[in-house]
Amino acid sequence: MGDKKLNAAEVRHLYDQHGPALVAYARSFVYAAAAEDVVHQVFLRLLSPEVEMPDVPVAYVYRAVRNAALNARRNGQRLAPLDPQLSVFKHRGGNMEAALTLEKALGELPEEQRQVVVMRIWSGLTLEEAAAATGAPLNTVASRYRYALEKLREKLRPYRKE
Amino acid sequence: MKNLEEQFEEYLREFQPRRPRALPGPAIHRQVWPRRLAAAAAITIALGAWLCSVRQKPAGQEARNVTSNRPVVSEQQRPRRPLSIVVLTHLAVENPAGLDAALVAAQKNRLPRFDRKDSALRILGKE
Repeated sequence: MGDKKLNAAEVRHLYDQHGPALVAYARSFVYAAAAEDVVHQVFLRLLSPEVEMPDVPVAYVYRAVRNAALNARRNGQRLAPLDPQLSVFKHRGGNMEAALTLEKALGELPEEQRQVVVMRIWSGLTLEEAAAATGAPLNTVASRYRYALEKLREKLRPYRKE
Repeated sequence: MKNLEEQFEEYLREFQPRRPRALPGPAIHRQVWPRRLAAAAAITIALGAWLCSVRQKPAGQEARNVTSNRPVVSEQQRPRRPLSIVVLTHLAVENPAGLDAALVAAQKNRLPRFDRKDSALRILGKE
């Protein structure tokens, strides 16, 4: 199966659907404002006529955002201290502290675990889709996901009523 | 009863990541261009309608309204040909004598006649 060019409407749909999750993902490589810039730039490039997309666009955009974020990091846009005003997450109930804790906890996860959590929770992918996107076996992805949730649950325990 | 994992997933979804700023580009143009085209079409139609009404309106109408309610039939019945600026300019450049002749001929048709009993000027003169 070959690559194809997504039209502008498809790129925008992809951006609407996965943009926020990708910002959360990029945040573990660079600070919040840079994460937003990285995601924006990746999608701007996708709108240009010469970029072709592989069969699984979600996998491509995650990879592209990761590479762009690592480049930005190499170019000096290091991780900045957590700032409530610049937090990538907003809690529905307005718990800023919990939002910052989640951001920090995500940043501390191994990258493979973080990726699958972001894909599953904020991009809305199933574990099968996340496995297809990452190219890892389903069992491996499921284990990564379970370990990641355990760590996050532990970090967020003080903020939630169980 | 939902298991712990599902409950925790729901809790995590209470946190929404920041939405990156909107992409610029074609979508914006797609919204703006139809509006611009519609505005241009409306202006063109309005201008066309105004021009048509101006060209169809008899030149002596204002004078008739001022003098009385009586219509000045002879002025309306006379066929009028609009003076073309392009033709007159061309004549002025190429053939000034021809321009004079054209203006004299046009004047007979366009200026109100005063040598008839029902002419607007004669009525105005009496009043």
